[in-house]
Amino acid sequence: MPSVLNILLTHQPADAVMAMIEWWQKWVARDSILLAYGGSREDFAAIPHEARVFVDDARLRTRDHQRERQSYGGVFRAAAAWMQGRDFTHVHFAEYDHLPLVSDLNQRQLALLADERADVLGFHLRRVDDTNCAHYLQHAADPDFFPFWERITCRPDPRVVLSMIATGSFWTREAFDQLAATPEPHPMYVEIFPPTLAHHLGFRIRDYGPQTRFVRNFGDRVSEIENARSAGAWTLHPVKSRWG
Amino acid sequence: MSFLTSAVRRLVLALARSVGSKIVDAETGAVIGRAFLVPWRGRIAVIGLDAEVKPVFLPQKRLTYWKQELGFKLHTPPDFPHAVRPQHPPDPSAR
Repeated sequence: MPSVLNILLTHQPADAVMAMIEWWQKWVARDSILLAYGGSREDFAAIPHEARVFVDDARLRTRDHQRERQSYGGVFRAAAAWMQGRDFTHVHFAEYDHLPLVSDLNQRQLALLADERADVLGFHLRRVDDTNCAHYLQHAADPDFFPFWERITCRPDPRVVLSMIATGSFWTREAFDQLAATPEPHPMYVEIFPPTLAHHLGFRIRDYGPQTRFVRNFGDRVSEIENARSAGAWTLHPVKSRWG
Repeated sequence: MSFLTSAVRRLVLALARSVGSKIVDAETGAVIGRAFLVPWRGRIAVIGLDAEVKPVFLPQKRLTYWKQELGFKLHTPPDFPHAVRPQHPPDPSAR
């Protein structure tokens, strides 16, 4: 029987975090929610949710996320450590501003993963090697970038580079544990490292397909919640002002 | 970034995306977007293109020594099968 852990990454104050968890409880079981907290230790201590981890990682707390190559490695490692001894079979990772909109969200994700015969689902998944993708070009200028993939890949073409939006990814437990267990030997951006690593470790990664249009990088879609749900959205991102 | 720099950049991007060269996929012919293509010191600057494309020299039916054309194409969406994974993955920190 599949069992999904929903990892929610947030840095918001305690009252906003509890409002977020209340919303999530409408769609998934409370004991399937793990809070990954990147805010202050004081706020973390004030959050009355048992399943939580504090992420003390400077690579998460970037200001200019793209140029500083923000990483969720600390989040993934903390979550993987928390999961040890627990029997979750799959992992859904979401940022605080990514709203679930349907009560069978995890079941839909499991069904899509099975339909695609995939190990990972991501939003706006695309291949970016040899393109004008700004993130790719900045990484390609790093002399350690391609040698790293040549060392770890089990695929014939080590130069394939994938990108996806960081929020909303869905993983088999095996793929997630291997992601968490693989350190970045040098900084790589959160939109580049996880999908490219999953690919080169041999996992099959696929896009969410029609659901991708309900997820984008910028703005605040707080006014679009009901319209998105009516249009068939499982989730909506970004909704930044929903929790105050 | 100063307000002036930011305003100039927005203006240039708006111009590139409205009156720049039409970029089409060299394989499918689909319109990808518009951008300014500016030759500069032996390179070509692509300004304002809101898509991720690969540059490719285009096949030509007629042999010409004096002209070749550079075009663009999109990657197909990732659809790689599973790959056989080693029992013990290599140490990523090893050199």
